[in-house]
Amino acid sequence: MFVSSYRVTKFAFQNFWRNFWLSIITVSMLLLTLVTINILLVLNVITDRAIELVEDRIEVSVYFYDYTEDTTVSAAVAYLRGLGQVRDVETVSADEAYTQFVTRHANDEEIMASLEELEENPFGPSLIVKAHRAEDFTQIIDALDNPQFRDSIREKDFSDYQNIVERIRSTTDRIRGFGIALAIIFLLIAILIVFNTVRIGIFIHREEIGIMRLVGASNWFIKAPFLLEMILLSLIAVGLTAIIVYPTVAFIEPQLSVYFSTESAGLVDYFTYNSLAIFGGQFLALVLVTLFSTGLAMRKYLKV
Amino acid sequence: MIRFKNVSKTYPPNVIGVEGISLHVKPGEFVSIVGKSGTGKSTLAKLLFAEERPTRGTIEIGGWDITHIHDRDIPLLRRQIGVVFQDFKLLPKKTVYENVAFALQVAGERPHRIREVVPKVLEIVNLENKLDRYPNQLSGGEQQRVAIGRALVHSPKILIADEPTGNLDTLNSREIMDLLSKINEFGTTIALVTHDRDMVNRLRRRVITLEDGKVVSDVEEGRYKL
Repeated sequence: MFVSSYRVTKFAFQNFWRNFWLSIITVSMLLLTLVTINILLVLNVITDRAIELVEDRIEVSVYFYDYTEDTTVSAAVAYLRGLGQVRDVETVSADEAYTQFVTRHANDEEIMASLEELEENPFGPSLIVKAHRAEDFTQIIDALDNPQFRDSIREKDFSDYQNIVERIRSTTDRIRGFGIALAIIFLLIAILIVFNTVRIGIFIHREEIGIMRLVGASNWFIKAPFLLEMILLSLIAVGLTAIIVYPTVAFIEPQLSVYFSTESAGLVDYFTYNSLAIFGGQFLALVLVTLFSTGLAMRKYLKV
Repeated sequence: MIRFKNVSKTYPPNVIGVEGISLHVKPGEFVSIVGKSGTGKSTLAKLLFAEERPTRGTIEIGGWDITHIHDRDIPLLRRQIGVVFQDFKLLPKKTVYENVAFALQVAGERPHRIREVVPKVLEIVNLENKLDRYPNQLSGGEQQRVAIGRALVHSPKILIADEPTGNLDTLNSREIMDLLSKINEFGTTIALVTHDRDMVNRLRRRVITLEDGKVVSDVEEGRYKL
């Protein structure tokens, strides 16, 4: 068995070298398919990161009238914290609001003079509410219409982040759809090229195959080199993909980090921690696809 | 060793290869199957090594009914039957040694066994001094001897030779026939398919004559009569 496996492997490598350019074309097509799939993965990570960052920055500011009692504010905080959609509630007292305003406008003499003329703190307390997801804000805003605090609230400031998130999602969904279509087209071309590579391989080796049959080679021994050759090509394609993908994500990572204003966009980490699942999975899927195509070609052209 | 019982082979749409063939070849026999072109000689040979399946009747080789042999069992059958053709069927990019060794390699034989068997076989076919030659560096007779050597590496019980002298001159043909006789003397059953009158008459062994796919004569120590 070991001897036969060694010879099958030898024949598979011979097939590879004898059809070198055809092997190169096949690997290129498989590579193109895998690179497209990995671009989709990168896009997925970037989209998730972008949405995560946007969602992290979403907050609604609730401003109370300056006459609002502390107990009302505290009740509102407790009520909001009890809501499932709320991630965090931060209280800014009237004094804190005043200090923050003064700090922010310290260099604006006109504003500072106006403030001094008022003689008393014109600010009321406020709340900064953070939600888990952008779509939660509508419910939070609705919840603040509770009659218990409704009359104490002067203003609710909420930017339409849900719309932003939806726009990010719809743009990336469109790009993803295009990428998937492209990957499917590449995959179909790859299947046809694998089919043709095997067909030509069978044609080139027809004399040898005929003699193999004549002298009692098993069907497995005749077919296995073609199957093994395609596994080898799949392995080369996945290896090259990894060689292309890692430096590429390492190159774009700092630029993305600047864009997202974070230490790391998480791309390299994503590909490092999931490398086995990503490239192992792609290798297995590719092997299945190429073996399917090889099987079809052998069934049609290799009579054993 | 070989038993045909009422064997017929019809090719689509309705071309008769052989029809109602019944014969028995005993172990160690040397039988010539003769007939004009298109009389079914090669079909008979192909039925023997399961390249074709009979439409009707049964075929037994060494007690093994191969009438409906399964695809996966054909390699096992072919390791017990050596086959030689008119066009030698050698691999041009392999040396004499490699061509003979190839039959053992594809059957999964271990390297030390190959190193042991191949030189012995090449000695039998008298090519021990031309191991490293390529087929195009050999005469037709020598190429056929390589093919016979390759057919012998599995120590087959039966050797089928389908027009082995068809591409050879008289001198080379005689050498091949002498070699086949020598192999037969070692106990291998030989089925020789030929239309070479001189060779058959020189042999003075059993001759089965086919005409229109049917056996029209089967004579011990026969002659080519057509």
